[in-house]
Amino acid sequence: MTAREAVAGSFCAVGAVFFILGTVGLLRMPDFYSRLHPSTKCDTLGGCSVLLGMMVHAGWSWDIPRLMVIAALLLLYSATCGHAVGRSAFMRGMPVWKKPGGEREETPQGEAAR
Amino acid sequence: MALRDGERGGGEVALKSYLLGVALVIAFNAFLCLYRAVLGPTVQDRLLAVNVVGTKTLIVVVLVTYIFNESYFLDVAMVYALLNMVVTVALSRYLETEGWKGKEAR
Repeated sequence: MTAREAVAGSFCAVGAVFFILGTVGLLRMPDFYSRLHPSTKCDTLGGCSVLLGMMVHAGWSWDIPRLMVIAALLLLYSATCGHAVGRSAFMRGMPVWKKPGGEREETPQGEAAR
Repeated sequence: MALRDGERGGGEVALKSYLLGVALVIAFNAFLCLYRAVLGPTVQDRLLAVNVVGTKTLIVVVLVTYIFNESYFLDVAMVYALLNMVVTVALSRYLETEGWKGKEAR
């Protein structure tokens, strides 16, 4: 195993771990807004990590600019889509999850949704 | 010299099977995310789950490029990223402005 393969493999392992964390967050969180947080961020970081590992694996070739374009698109669209979906839920007036017996009494939206 | 070449070939195969394992793990995660897409209580949950599955598919396509040494799959991944972005943004804009029961929510 060369050093390059080791670096590429570790980047891929980190990416897979972040994907698993994002899946757990998407499945286990109680609310849509709290589901938005882990799935969007973990997917961005895991995807960019795997793409970095593939850049190391590919070496000096024309694959690197293409992988960089894919990483830039991923950084662009993941944040944009997370914001757009969350905004659509907020504008539609989706209620915010409250902890049973928690101290927050009312949802922060209401006037802002109109 | 021949031995070193053989060793390098073995490492290449080992790395390829490792990448295949990573791709399988990510694909399994995508199938787990389909739970949220099918049973999600709201439309936004389904949209978010479809977006997440699309991202995972994009990464699997990039890994498949290096498992099978087919360089043109990277272009497929690029187009897939663009398509994913357009679908999610368009659908969430549609949910934001249309599909209401009345005018009061706008």
